Amino acid sequence: MNAPYLPGPHDHVPANLIVDFDFFDVPNGVTDPIEIWHDLVRRGVPPIFYTPRNGGHWVFLRYNDIVDAYRNHELFSTYQSPVPPLPNYPVLQPNGVDPPQHDVFRKILAPLFTPLAVRRMTEGLQHRSQSLISGFANNNGCDFIADYAAKFPTGTFLELFGLPEERLSEFLRISDTFFRSTDPDVRVANLQEIYEVLEELFREKERNPGNDIASVVVQSRDAEGNPYPWIDILNCGLLLFAAGLDTVTNTMAYIWRYLATSADARQKFRDRLDDPAAFQLAIEELMRINAVSAIYRRATHDFEFKGVQLRRNDRVVLSNTVANRDASVFKAPQAIDLERKVNNHVTFGVGPHRCIGSHLAKREIMISLQEWLRQIPEFELDPEQDATIFGGPVMGFEFLKLRW
Amino acid sequence: MKVVANLTLCQGHARCEDICPEVFSTDAIEGKVVVDRPDFPAELEDKVRMAVRNCPEGALRIVKAAAA
Repeated sequence: MNAPYLPGPHDHVPANLIVDFDFFDVPNGVTDPIEIWHDLVRRGVPPIFYTPRNGGHWVFLRYNDIVDAYRNHELFSTYQSPVPPLPNYPVLQPNGVDPPQHDVFRKILAPLFTPLAVRRMTEGLQHRSQSLISGFANNNGCDFIADYAAKFPTGTFLELFGLPEERLSEFLRISDTFFRSTDPDVRVANLQEIYEVLEELFREKERNPGNDIASVVVQSRDAEGNPYPWIDILNCGLLLFAAGLDTVTNTMAYIWRYLATSADARQKFRDRLDDPAAFQLAIEELMRINAVSAIYRRATHDFEFKGVQLRRNDRVVLSNTVANRDASVFKAPQAIDLERKVNNHVTFGVGPHRCIGSHLAKREIMISLQEWLRQIPEFELDPEQDATIFGGPVMGFEFLKLRW
Repeated sequence: MKVVANLTLCQGHARCEDICPEVFSTDAIEGKVVVDRPDFPAELEDKVRMAVRNCPEGALRIVKAAAA
């Protein structure tokens, strides 16, 4: 069978809506990958434009257009939507399907990620954070990515999935390849390896269920009491692996990079160490300003959207970082205001696919920052940075050297 | 005055609970909003209004008690 969800040529796109933009490519001299997006706005490109790069795709820049796309799965589907387009892409559960099919795995996962469920993880997260930070707090610096921001969410993933801590280095290795490799052969082999790991994990949890997410997923049953298709179980594991590691790592990198350069912000967070509610509201502003993900959708049929003609299977990339600085929604959008009162950012998306791990992600970041500031109240950027940065659907840094 | 939630629009961001836990919580199954005190006391009005304005889905609104 031919792959029926690949986009066609772009002869329906008027020339004035075409912009040459490759979001995987960060030009030399740019030190912050988020800036390639904000540069589009500064250049005054059309708020809905088409780039022929990466297989060709639309980019939405306005908050309202992005929110409308998130909310309208009948026009903008997540099913078979990767950029660049790939035939027969794994159908992640539940993220890779639209309502109502989406609701099946969403309902399985929802109780595991509610604010209540996440609050119960607090002690474990604090313990993990404290022990990682105390491993280097007495040195005079660290590589924040390797020493903390990669290990912390990956270790959390292992714990939530009922896997032993000893497998941390193996998971760091496979996730690094998963998120950073651009070699097609390496990527295919890596995906195969991840499926093998998930296969073994879910089979083990089927035989010996524990008190963990993998056990809940593998033991779930439909209304007739039947198990779900095995491939959907594996792809639910793949989603949780793909969605919860790199995003948290890079959001943390952005936040610590900012704090390293702002004595005032460090002071404000230290002042809130005994007021978790105020601490969390201040974190919310850093979530707004440091949205590292761009999200993919696929046009389900030919239609006109906000005066622009889209064709079936056209890819659409929604820029959360640009939406979060839309002046029609946010007061003084470029300013980082840790006391911002109204902050409807879309860092976790909106609509039915709202990031199910948002409460866990925020709690991971909040606990990490609290523990960090208690052990390392003052820190700065090491002037000798390895300036390896990357664009793509999750943007960030390969190294972030801090010193104190 | 009374605060009401539209559970079709709510996607469980729980921003309301962060801002005003005296009035809002989140259920343990679907993770959607529970309005624990729809008839909130006057001293919480500012916080409730902030919770309403910070809902990313526009799922909360304040209505006159008689209309609710």
